Amino acid sequence: MDKTLNYAYYPGCSLHASAGEYDLSTRELFNLLGVGLTEVPDWFCCGATPAHNVDELLSLSLCAKNLELAEQVDGDVAVACAACFSRLKFTQHTLLEDETKRRQVEKAIDAPARLDGKVKHLLEILARDIGLERLASAVSKPLSGVKVACYYGCLLTRPPDVPNLDCVEAPTIMERVVEAAGAETVPWSHRMECCGANFTLSRPGVVIQLSNAILDSAKSSGADCVVVACPLCHGNLDMRQKEIEGVYNAEYGLPVFYITQLLAVACGAGAEKSGLGALMVDPFPLLKVKNIL
Amino acid sequence: MSRIGVFVCHCGENISRTVDVERVAAEVGKLPGVALATDYKYMCSDPGQGLLKKAIAEQRLSHVVVAACSPRMHERTFRKAVESAGINPFLCEMANIREHCSWVHDNREEATEKAIEIVGMMVERVKRNRALPAITVPVTKRSLIIGGGIAGIQAALDIADAGHEVVLVEREPSIGGHMAQLSETFPTLDCSQCIMTPRMVDVANHPRITLHSYSEVEHVEGYIGNFQVTIRKKARSVDEKKCTGCGVCIEKCPIRKIPNKFDCNLGMRPAIYIPFPQAVPNTPVIDRESCAMFKSGKCGLCKKVCGPGAVDYEQEDRLIVEPVGAIVVATGFDLYDITEKPKGSQIKGYGEFGHGRIPDVIDGMTFERLASASGPTGGRILRPSDGREPKQIVFIQCVGSRAREKGISYCSKVCCMYTAKQTMLYHHKVHDGQAYVFFMDARTPGKSYDEFWRRSIEEEEAVYIRGMVSRLYQKGDKIVVMGSDIAVGVQVEIEADMVVLATAVQPRSGADILAQKLGISYDKYHFYSEAHAKLRPVECATAGIYLAGACQGPKDIPDTVSQASAAAAKVMTLFAREKLEREPIVARVREAGCVGCFYCRKVCAYGAIEEKEIRDRQGNLIKVVAYVNPGVCGGCGTCQATCPSKSVELDGYTDEQIVAMIEAL
Repeated sequence: MDKTLNYAYYPGCSLHASAGEYDLSTRELFNLLGVGLTEVPDWFCCGATPAHNVDELLSLSLCAKNLELAEQVDGDVAVACAACFSRLKFTQHTLLEDETKRRQVEKAIDAPARLDGKVKHLLEILARDIGLERLASAVSKPLSGVKVACYYGCLLTRPPDVPNLDCVEAPTIMERVVEAAGAETVPWSHRMECCGANFTLSRPGVVIQLSNAILDSAKSSGADCVVVACPLCHGNLDMRQKEIEGVYNAEYGLPVFYITQLLAVACGAGAEKSGLGALMVDPFPLLKVKNIL
Repeated sequence: MSRIGVFVCHCGENISRTVDVERVAAEVGKLPGVALATDYKYMCSDPGQGLLKKAIAEQRLSHVVVAACSPRMHERTFRKAVESAGINPFLCEMANIREHCSWVHDNREEATEKAIEIVGMMVERVKRNRALPAITVPVTKRSLIIGGGIAGIQAALDIADAGHEVVLVEREPSIGGHMAQLSETFPTLDCSQCIMTPRMVDVANHPRITLHSYSEVEHVEGYIGNFQVTIRKKARSVDEKKCTGCGVCIEKCPIRKIPNKFDCNLGMRPAIYIPFPQAVPNTPVIDRESCAMFKSGKCGLCKKVCGPGAVDYEQEDRLIVEPVGAIVVATGFDLYDITEKPKGSQIKGYGEFGHGRIPDVIDGMTFERLASASGPTGGRILRPSDGREPKQIVFIQCVGSRAREKGISYCSKVCCMYTAKQTMLYHHKVHDGQAYVFFMDARTPGKSYDEFWRRSIEEEEAVYIRGMVSRLYQKGDKIVVMGSDIAVGVQVEIEADMVVLATAVQPRSGADILAQKLGISYDKYHFYSEAHAKLRPVECATAGIYLAGACQGPKDIPDTVSQASAAAAKVMTLFAREKLEREPIVARVREAGCVGCFYCRKVCAYGAIEEKEIRDRQGNLIKVVAYVNPGVCGGCGTCQATCPSKSVELDGYTDEQIVAMIEAL
């Protein structure tokens, strides 16, 4: 176990519900890499999309309180969900820039706001803290021959100057991580487009149209599968894929993995501990053809 | 004993409304050394100045204080007036009781008291002024022009035609600059090369122009009228004097696949080349990084075939020193390159356009080369990827420009017009094609400019879409352009065959380094700064250095030519004098006190401090002291503030004077 690397893990609501396999595979991957991951005690919802549309002070306070809770654990905050990541980073950014809001929030949470604590997405931790070399050396089942379309969606890098994960419009961090696991990444056009996100419930027609464009682009680029780092993206591309195929009379059959699932498989976690059974588009034929499982 | 005259001005009511000017005159009149104190409604008027001159004669005044507005306004006026009355102009000072007093106070009583003190201080100062003789410096009537684009060429020809020698330095192997690359020019659609190349030839043939192509300014010393410029003539590997320009070496060179920068890398050139057929000078240059002879020592073909024996592999860079009296900087612009993510820069790049990695996404200059009859396609608009003619073409304006979030907030000024022109050229060459333009605003201030832009829409069928493009991506052999049409409020997607980006105009690379060599200032984008935006638009704050063209800010050809001629006129004004007279407010060293520590030299921004040896009568060296070259000194006073032994002082601002002024309060 690497004693120097330990993270305060903020899973977020999705990872305890519909994205359980993201949580499972994240824990397993960190376990295999020998990196500590301690769940923040008593964490609660970051407010996600609804809170900041209803009440800005509420949304900032929810995140600020969670960041305060995270102080109980040694290490930087590790976030898996793109929306949680965005909200936590946004809160730090806003409170740093706006003294008045910071005071209001500090009154609401009855504690000083934690503005300098590092909030990191799993991709940053994998690519920079753990490092690509160490990641590559942990790979026991290289993903040779798998062509991966890395899908970032809207929130991982945007808006400019807030998450500072990578280049805002042309990031490469996910590709580098996936390539470290031995897979091949494809250049494609819709890496940064919106999947429709939480319109999936209120305006499914919009989501089907947008997600179709993404799947269509990934398929025509020659990818065998799509990799995501966001529960909502996953829901739209994986869960709705069959429906989209029906509407557009298309056949994609593209398994959609969480980044940690694919890496856990590559590090030899096996299907069960990587949560592959939870995927709607069956990933087993692909992984078998490529002799990975 | 001094006989000081004090003249208190009412400035209409500007001063007298708040300050009791008569009381000021009465109180100041009581000060020791004041022979006369009076007030008048407008001191700067002709009768006011008459009053001053008359009083000097009648009262035998030795010094004058005019209590009025800021010296920035009228110091020169009153100094001239006293000079014509026979007093050294530097024995006249102004006391500012307008900007520093009447305009900023309401209480008449207090303002009057303050005015009395201000005038009293100036009386104490002027008493201790020295009569200063005018400083004259000789003028070398030759000028240096840096940059051989249209700006530099215009300035060079104007100055040379006026009878003065010109040294023209160009970094590239040929003069001509960007204008030589253009196809046709707005708003008349006349061929750029046809109007440009004769001027280039005029430069080459002019008896008073010395052209140093493939050369760079290495070092600049001196000051207005007396610059010493060191120029690095880069090794061309071809002797300019022997070469006849026959071109056999170019034909025979076996290394032929080097992207030609002049053609925006569309066409290929050999390792020994001239950038384009009309190049001036018509002397080839060897690109040593590509040449087989330089890389492996195996070839030497060009030397073998050269009849006059001009090819010289041993040639080295040469440094030459040219004395000049004036410098015109005309280094021009580069187009903002979106093809890669800028490193360590405030400019953020265009990741959403894939940093320009799609081959058929080109910039405006590349389109010019495609449209040019002498370009790599012979004037046919063809896609770089597969050589097909694009049937749907999208032009995107303001790429980089006016995009604060991308790091550039200025307007590049020329893009609206050249995009309109390019839609026309496209329509003339591809009759069944359709051009679309994404634009924020169409900015067409210029003679016949708006008419020209309207023509592109009304007669040449360009479709203008008001809105920006969010993303470009390759889909098969098409480029999908995702944008918004804000006039209708909808998202637009166009599947284009080619996309032309009107990328921002930026100063030429290395503009900052050159500015540091010249000692001129530049803005955060590295555009050079003029001395005054409105009244001194072609002069630098550094005397003797002038600006022409896009190095000062984005400019089209007519504006560039006008500015170049204006800069030339400024140079000729300078050269109309045999000697330059300059303000004699300079620092002087008290040699007895100077210990030769030369701290003053370290802080002097003008390089005015020299060493002077003090010797006794037998010629033995006693000590080395500082000497201020009055021709170079800028009169800033930094040396005075720095000197540990208080041995250097600025005339008119000596410690004694400052202390006397304080004591007068």
